[in-house]
Amino acid sequence: MSPEQLLGSVEFTSDEVVVADFEAGVGTLTRLEEQRVDTVLVVVEPTPKSLEVGQRATQLAKDRLVGRVVVVANRIRTEADLETVRAAFPGVEVVAVPDDPKIVEADRKGVAPIDLAPDAPAVVALVGLARGLVPSPN
Amino acid sequence: MKLAVVGKGGSGKTTTSSVIARTLARSGKAVVALDCDSNPNLGISLGVGDAETERLVSMRESLDEGDEEHAPTWETLLSRYGSDAPDGVRLAVVSRIENPDPG
Repeated sequence: MSPEQLLGSVEFTSDEVVVADFEAGVGTLTRLEEQRVDTVLVVVEPTPKSLEVGQRATQLAKDRLVGRVVVVANRIRTEADLETVRAAFPGVEVVAVPDDPKIVEADRKGVAPIDLAPDAPAVVALVGLARGLVPSPN
Repeated sequence: MKLAVVGKGGSGKTTTSSVIARTLARSGKAVVALDCDSNPNLGISLGVGDAETERLVSMRESLDEGDEEHAPTWETLLSRYGSDAPDGVRLAVVSRIENPDPG
C-alpha cells in the first residue's frame, strides 16, 4: 500500500501517534484523501524555493481539511529570516527552529540529533514543538 | 493521532520527524515513525544506525518487487518489516509502490 492508503487504513487511540515523514515535495499530499491526517507540519527554510513548496503544501493541507497546519521555520539565523517565513504564511502558526551546527554534525556522524545534542537550540525547539502537538496527559 | 511532515527536500523534514517521534515516545505515546521518502533515511536520524536503516530499505525494496495484492497490511508492515528505534519508537519504511505521475 502507498503511504496515503496506509494512513487511511488504520485508526488510532489518543495514546498512539504516527509520525509520517513524507516524500520530498507535495506528491503524497496531493494524493491524500480528506481528513486522513490530523496535523501537517510544513517544514521550510527561509529560501524562495523552500517557501514556495511550503506554500503549496499549506494550501493542499487546508483544502483537505486536516485539523491543524503548523509551519516549522527551519535554519533561522536572524529575526529577518523568521519575518520572511511569517510573511509567506499569513494566518498560519509558525514555530522557529534556529540554525544549528549540531544538526549538521549529527547528519555527518549518522546519529540521532536528540542523542548527540539534546541541549542544542534546534533540538530544544523541536522538542518544544512536539510537546505542543499532543494533549498533555493531565 | 496522525502527523504528516512535508516540505522541500533538504528543508529538514527528517530531522524534524525524528525529534518529534522520539519526544512523543518519551512522553508515553506509542509512536510509529513512517519513512515515506523516496530517499529513506529517517532511521539514521532516529538513531538505529546506517546498517539497520539500509537493511529496512532493502527489505522494503524486495517486497515492492512482489505482487501488489501481497502488499502488507499495517500490522504486517510494522511487525515484519519494521525495526525498533530508541525510546520505543517503531520504525517502518513505506516506499511508494504505484506511480500515478505521468511519465
